[in-house]
Amino acid sequence: MRPRLSERAQAAILVGVLVTAIAALYGATQILQPSAVSRFVVHGVRIEVNSSSWTIEYQSLVTTNNTAFRLLEEAAAHLGFTVGYEVYQIPEGVLVTSINGTTNGQGGRYWQYWVNGVFGDVAADKKALADDDIVLWRFDRSYAGVSVG
Amino acid sequence: MIGTQGASRTRPVSGRGWKAVLNAGLGNTRTRILGVFLILIAVLGTVVLRQYANIETVFVACLLAGSLLSRWWTVLVPLSALLILQPLEWDANRGYAVEAMAGISFFVVTGFLFVALIGSRLRPKVLFRVKSVALLTTISVPLTVAYDVWTAFGEWYFLMRPFGVSLLTVMQGQFLFTLYHLLSSLIFVPLFGTTFLFLQAYGWPATQQEPSPAEPYDRP
Repeated sequence: MRPRLSERAQAAILVGVLVTAIAALYGATQILQPSAVSRFVVHGVRIEVNSSSWTIEYQSLVTTNNTAFRLLEEAAAHLGFTVGYEVYQIPEGVLVTSINGTTNGQGGRYWQYWVNGVFGDVAADKKALADDDIVLWRFDRSYAGVSVG
Repeated sequence: MIGTQGASRTRPVSGRGWKAVLNAGLGNTRTRILGVFLILIAVLGTVVLRQYANIETVFVACLLAGSLLSRWWTVLVPLSALLILQPLEWDANRGYAVEAMAGISFFVVTGFLFVALIGSRLRPKVLFRVKSVALLTTISVPLTVAYDVWTAFGEWYFLMRPFGVSLLTVMQGQFLFTLYHLLSSLIFVPLFGTTFLFLQAYGWPATQQEPSPAEPYDRP
């Protein structure tokens, strides 16, 4: 008959297994997490911010604000409108909550973005832009996963 | 004769009145304190960790409510915690259709109730021992996955399906969140499991004559 492990030995084994499992899971989440976008120069990127009652348009000929979020911030700084957002740690990313005084939830609508007509599948600060990209921020009902022309 | 036996069995319960029913349902003082603690942990932990999606303490509170306290607490802990947390969730998601939010709340509440009920099935095996903590932690893994699949289905049905998003897309999007949820379970279940097993075995004295079920060797 095998000798029974003491409670202390069992506890040590359990802690070891747990630490390994937690480390492995944490590693997996870091690998799967959308990576941060490093700054590089993009040319001719445009942004359109569209509420139901107003529209803002902005174009940057040369910029290092090469994400959907950074370009929105650049437009806000140049044109003098406000952008509200929350920074989430898990999963890492920014959620835009208001633009130019129009806040998420009003009338069942939310700020969502598309790049070249494709719905943003990651947080806006993780969406890298390329030359001549067109970013659309629209205040609308949830269209998760639906492309717009 | 059988009818008479049945009557004599039920008579003492109704004869003792609502206080006796309440006592039987809520358990001794220690059980009640732990039950309230579990509700507090579920609510406070989830509110404090709000910015860390799926790192939450409702799951562990439900599992421990079922496996340690059982009785009415199996239902009381999840329902009380969600009665506080769900309105906050509704407030944060103002603007979504009421039917959609109600539908998602249904999946969340039934999901956590399921966790607590599975926990209550483990109760006879849960004592203040390392093996019990290991058992609770192990069972939390498939339970977390089952809970996430269930609620992701609810989210697809009420939020995404109307916009033509496939269930597969929603499940794929859920994957990273489930990993975080598993991380949460692997941290909180052993942490709070050990704490509450200890408190149940050696915590406050129970005022009623009732053995502490988590004490080793108290139970066969």
